[in-house]
Amino acid sequence: MDPMGLLNYALFMGTLIGIYALLALALNIHWGLTGLFNAGVAGFFAVGAYVSAILTGIPASGRIGGFELPVPVGWLGAMLAAGAIAWPIGRICLRLRSDYLAIATIGVAEIIRLVIRSEDWLTGGPRGIIGVPRPFGDLDYMASQAAYLLLVTGVVLVVYWAVERQLRSPWGRMMKAIRDNEAAAAAMGKDVEKRRLEAFIFGSAIMGLAGALFVHFNRSITPEAIDPMIATFLVWIMLILGGSGNNRGAILGAAVIWLIWSLSELLTDRLPADMATQAKYVRMFVIGLMLQLVLRFRPEGILPEESGQRGRKPPASTG
Amino acid sequence: MIPLLSMQDVRGGYGDADILQGVSIDVAPREIVVIVGPNGAGKSTAMKAVVGLLDVRGGQILFDGDDITGWTPDRIVRRGICYVPQVDNVFREMTVHENFEMGAFLRRGDLTAAYDRVYGLFPDLRAKRRNLAGDLSGGQRQMVAMGRALMLEPGLLLLDEPTAGLSPKYMEQIFQIIRDVRDSGVSIMLVEQHAKQALAFCDRGYVLATGANRHQGTGAALLADREVAQMFLGA
Amino acid sequence: MTVVSFINFYLVPGVVLGSIYALGAIGITMVFGILRFAHFAHGDMATLGAFFALALVGAGMGPWTALPFAMIVTAVVAIAVDRGFYEHLAKRPKILTVIASLGIALMLRSVVQVVWGVDPQTYSRGIVRPESFGGILLRPRELYTLATVVALVLGLVAFLKYTRWGKAMRAMSDNPDLARLSGVDNRRVTMLTWATVGALTTASGFMLGINNELTSMMGWSMLLPMFAAAILGGVGRVEGAVVGGLIVGLAEELSVLVMPGQYKMATAFAILLAILVLRPSGVFKGKVL
Repeated sequence: MDPMGLLNYALFMGTLIGIYALLALALNIHWGLTGLFNAGVAGFFAVGAYVSAILTGIPASGRIGGFELPVPVGWLGAMLAAGAIAWPIGRICLRLRSDYLAIATIGVAEIIRLVIRSEDWLTGGPRGIIGVPRPFGDLDYMASQAAYLLLVTGVVLVVYWAVERQLRSPWGRMMKAIRDNEAAAAAMGKDVEKRRLEAFIFGSAIMGLAGALFVHFNRSITPEAIDPMIATFLVWIMLILGGSGNNRGAILGAAVIWLIWSLSELLTDRLPADMATQAKYVRMFVIGLMLQLVLRFRPEGILPEESGQRGRKPPASTG
Repeated sequence: MIPLLSMQDVRGGYGDADILQGVSIDVAPREIVVIVGPNGAGKSTAMKAVVGLLDVRGGQILFDGDDITGWTPDRIVRRGICYVPQVDNVFREMTVHENFEMGAFLRRGDLTAAYDRVYGLFPDLRAKRRNLAGDLSGGQRQMVAMGRALMLEPGLLLLDEPTAGLSPKYMEQIFQIIRDVRDSGVSIMLVEQHAKQALAFCDRGYVLATGANRHQGTGAALLADREVAQMFLGA
Repeated sequence: MTVVSFINFYLVPGVVLGSIYALGAIGITMVFGILRFAHFAHGDMATLGAFFALALVGAGMGPWTALPFAMIVTAVVAIAVDRGFYEHLAKRPKILTVIASLGIALMLRSVVQVVWGVDPQTYSRGIVRPESFGGILLRPRELYTLATVVALVLGLVAFLKYTRWGKAMRAMSDNPDLARLSGVDNRRVTMLTWATVGALTTASGFMLGINNELTSMMGWSMLLPMFAAAILGGVGRVEGAVVGGLIVGLAEELSVLVMPGQYKMATAFAILLAILVLRPSGVFKGKVL
């Protein structure tokens, strides 16, 4: 590949790494900080993407939206919508065990996917939404890619800083106290359920933001754009590999896994056509296997949590 | 007489700290031994050490000629020590008879005699054999728990607070049953909160406090001991 | 709508689908009850089992003859998956096993996709005309499905109720510590559980495939209904899973009377949420994990 092509590819990859890094940071709030098993990441992502598209895109017949509002409004709308969806789910499921929350979030993602596919008047159905404005989109190709990458990087840094700040705040310390010893925290009068809900909504809003960044990058969104289970799974292994409980780990994991994922795609694209489709599934198998290996040999991830092992040991049994 | 069970200076605990600081308890064949003491004395912990549920870091536990220190619970069960925990000591979703069947899980062959023996000890349960254990009263559940443990015809039976939460009528029944079990050739070690009643009916007793031996002697001697009585004023 | 057409277009498909869900839900409830975690690879294990049967059909066997063999093979695969990927997580928080199972789901699905591709397949070609039983239309495969499900459920219930190891499994589900103290070998029970789960989930995948078609996503699409059924019936309760499965299946088929057809899948989710809100222990009062 020629140098220009390589550079373009790197810019493209960088942007996607940034978007996935946002998702991993958000999942870290859910899982690393609060111990919530959100298996519906893709759902919140999709909501954010579609809401931003509806708010900022050009009108299309048979579909609401096309308000052509400024991009920041779209992003804000994306975050609000994702958070709004998280609220009822959280109210219902957070007090039950992680397994149940996982199933419920899988269900949420499925419902969202169904709605996206079926409600043409809202989402454009299978056609999706096109004509979504892209910041810096008027520049020529490489400059535009670079500008967007800078934008995404900026957002990631801001979110990283915001999350880190929250973690060091009294709220963050309380969350860690709840995670490490829920019984003690509850006995001290902390409203455990409310705190968890806050964390759930906070993380979901960031997932919505990631969706918005994605849709403006692509200038369009269709139901096929992202395979929900693959995307959710990738974010999970990004977090586990990078180090759950650790924000830098989340970003690192995003970079590592996305690099592996897309470089392996480069490799398999060179195979003859009939093998290439199968290769996609081989790559998925390998990613699934990687998760097992990480869980077995390095469950704390590359960057373990700074304040010690993020493993919730069951309470010691007493005589 | 060589003791059936001999705990010698046993130390151990669950996490980093040691709960037992050198406990020594002997149980002879055909004997009822009671362990009493204030809360947190390590009584239940000492029992768990015998049955393999504790991290033993010092001392020895000998049973019927074997050194069973560090053995896993199922190996100890096979060797002939059966344990009835204080709580969660029955299979609530299984019938009384199925509980006994699970008690005899490791045994093969004709078990009619064993069932007869256990139902003989707990005649009230015969009528309830098809009832779910979880549906029974506290006292009857305790009997099911003991019956399950006795199906393996152990040499040593360990009971953790068998009369906890039971009415005086059931408590007396349980004590009588324990005497019957001893008379049939089984040794029993039990932990008890109802110290006075337990010391009255046992053969020998040990008083533990803060994980170590304090007093020991026959039940009668301990009851007469003023220091022991002081410990349990109002027990 | 006449009673007969109601039966033919809603009741029969509902019961058939419900019995397929019931078989799957039994596996889920057994893993919940005995091994104490949510097994997210369950659906894709069904897919794998169904495709094993397809391979045997391709080699010349009749579909229903292939089923028992496919069940045995998948039982072995289930044990292997446990030994290879779940066993070493046993002493850690259970949620890690759940995460691992999500990865196993992906791995099993991708095996199917690599080996058999993603295009829909069938066990047999040709249109099958239903037979009329006094106006009620039933296809042979639907009859076989119902008969097989009944046989499998009765067989399992008998196994759990009357055999030594069946009781050991129930004991482990009831009180694992006491089971260990009674000398029950944990590893053996785990192995038996996985064998049973693998076999039953294969049957549910097979029956989904034979009544519709086989796709690589078919098992995953059953996951939500199966979990809804298991939780509705009461986690850990086999009879609850059967009842739950039937309810979810019927509800799904009846839902088109009140909702647009594309939202059939949402029925299971609605049931799941309703149960979690109203009565998390389920109809038959299972465990609340």
